[in-house]
Amino acid sequence: MKLSKSLKHALNMMLHSKLRSWLTIIGIVIGVSSVIAIVSIGEGMEQSLNAQISELGGDILTITPGVSRSGDRHFRTTTASSSQATEEEIVLDRTDVQALRGIPDIDLIDTQIRKNVDVSYRDKWGSLSLTGVDQKVWSQITTEEIRDGRMLDSADQNVIVIGASLADNYFDQPLGINKVITIEGNSFRIVGILDDQSTNIIMPIQMAYQVMDGKEKDIYDSIIVKIRDEENLDAVVEKIENKLMITRHVTESNKDFTITSNVQIMEMRSEMMSSVSLFLTAIAAVSLLVGIVGITNTMFTSVLEKTKEIGIMKAIGARNKDILAIFLFNAGLIGLVGGIIGVVLGILLSGALPYLLGDMTIVRGGTVVSLNVIIFALSISVLVGMIAGAIPAYQGSKLKPVDALRYE
Amino acid sequence: MLICNIICLIHNVEIEYTQFYNVYTIKEREIKLEHSNTLLNFENVWKIYQMGEVEVPALKGIDVGIKKGDFVAIVGASGSGKSTMMNLIGCLDVPSKGKILLKGQDISRLSESDLASFRGKTIGFIFQQYNLIPTMSAFENVMLPLEFQDVVDSIASKRTREILEFVELSDKMHNLPSQLSGGQQQRVSIARCLVTDPEIILADEPTGALDSVTGENIIKMLEKLWREEGKTIIMVTHDLNLAKYANTTIELKDGEIIRIQENCNSG
Ligand SMILES: Nc1ncnc2c1ncn2[C@@H]1O[C@H](COP(=O)(O)OP(=O)(O)OP(=O)(O)O)[C@@H](O)[C@H]1O
Ligand SMILES: [Mg+2]
Repeated sequence: MKLSKSLKHALNMMLHSKLRSWLTIIGIVIGVSSVIAIVSIGEGMEQSLNAQISELGGDILTITPGVSRSGDRHFRTTTASSSQATEEEIVLDRTDVQALRGIPDIDLIDTQIRKNVDVSYRDKWGSLSLTGVDQKVWSQITTEEIRDGRMLDSADQNVIVIGASLADNYFDQPLGINKVITIEGNSFRIVGILDDQSTNIIMPIQMAYQVMDGKEKDIYDSIIVKIRDEENLDAVVEKIENKLMITRHVTESNKDFTITSNVQIMEMRSEMMSSVSLFLTAIAAVSLLVGIVGITNTMFTSVLEKTKEIGIMKAIGARNKDILAIFLFNAGLIGLVGGIIGVVLGILLSGALPYLLGDMTIVRGGTVVSLNVIIFALSISVLVGMIAGAIPAYQGSKLKPVDALRYE
Repeated sequence: MLICNIICLIHNVEIEYTQFYNVYTIKEREIKLEHSNTLLNFENVWKIYQMGEVEVPALKGIDVGIKKGDFVAIVGASGSGKSTMMNLIGCLDVPSKGKILLKGQDISRLSESDLASFRGKTIGFIFQQYNLIPTMSAFENVMLPLEFQDVVDSIASKRTREILEFVELSDKMHNLPSQLSGGQQQRVSIARCLVTDPEIILADEPTGALDSVTGENIIKMLEKLWREEGKTIIMVTHDLNLAKYANTTIELKDGEIIRIQENCNSG
């Protein structure tokens, strides 16, 4: 029998199959739709990260105290090689800024401190991240954009710029321009709202020293620099590194600061995101596995139910491979139908995910379902069906005609 | 194509050889064979079913030859081995011992897929319970054997229509088996059996599930095929009235042939 004919008979068989075999499709449907939804998150993240990376232009570097190895940062407090370091906290201060000023490739330098602070507005309280920035350069160096109002400028004192989430929905009432909120007991007026999804507060660093507990003046949590020529990024990183090692009296082996480019941060983040989505995909794969078991079960029952028909077909000239093909195709078709329903559901789900998950980081970039993913999901479901159907189909095909005919 | 020719050649040589051979072995067993056109030959065929520890012999050393153009009725009490014998003739099962030659081919020597296509082309089955595929229409059921033989669609559907016309079911061809009466279903199964133009028609109690009038019609149809188309028909029946239509009656008892009777209505 030609394969196209076997396919036709498999289709006929599927159209006449019982509710039970339709139910087993659910396993595949869940598996496929969750894979689609999860992959769509991943692709959404990747696209938005890529967009951000290209927007950044890669001319921004962040210098932080401490060392970072292979992506995760751990502060060097107990390293045997430098006993001093254990006694003295590693910090960035004016000398470092001074040293950086001497490098002509650097265009702008912004010093920042950061801490969580108590914020209140009309009797509502919250603990939020506050960043003190050098307001003279921050507006030129930041990659954030202003949605309402303005950036900080050099004359500013008791004013702040806040993230959009804080403005729109953190407190009972939305915060607008010129609203005053209380930070650690001091009043600050909002002059600008960022076009982002954060609850961050940004204020002039001099004010930040006053409101933050335990921050020493002229000690910075990070120094952000903008270099003149993006092309020279690597060379400039090396220059900064060498200069700081000299002024901080450290060598390559006991280096106590880290230079990260924004591009690097983005790459790190995307790496982290992809491992998150890999993990989620693995979970989805498990439900696909459940689907396989379900279809296998259905196929075994279906072969059993059709034993007599197998006998009849053999009596009228079907070869083993004809029977095998019909049942394999049948299983593949069940998989395909499950896959199609799964894809449709997955697309709906991925569309709804940003709303369902709200402000979670993983769906910030929105979700993207690409054609490749759909094709991949469909072929996987067909394959899954066929794998599931392989053993039952083989067993069915091997039945002796006389035994099959006797089966009632 | 070339391969087909070669296979045909080998067939012919084998047929001649086995026919020659048959005459001498069978002669000793009192069963007279006309020297030519033996279609089917059982040589000391045993079928033993293993039921756990016990061996149930269903056929005990059957020797028989059936000629091309015979209409054979196999009769006997229930459990005498009639269906077992039919299954062997139809290559649905293999003997425990002995040899079955069908058109000169030792069927136990054929591979599974060769046996299947050999069966599909040479033998047509009519079952007591019709055995139609319930999810296919009459038309699809009848066309199915041709599909297994890779007959081109246009030819296959033309042939299917003709056959359905022959069994007078043209108007019901899109009905499912469940939408047909028993007699109509049996006619569909006859059509399915005839569509491949088989040399041998095997019918295991074809009228067993039908009332006597409908059964008579079915038998008349078989008789017509035998007389007009020259088909070889082997039929199992309980009904001695129906056995009279055949030209040979083989009576089985406890797995042995106890009588072979030539009827006077031969051809
Ligand atoms: N698959 C099997 N396993 C075990 N024993 C079997 C099997 N098939 C048939 N038999 C036995 O073989 C013997 C012959 O059976 P068979 O079906 O050939 O009888 P039959 O002549 O067709 O009877 P009936 O007229 O009732 O159809 C019986 O004793 C039966 O029990
Ligand atoms: Mg029987």
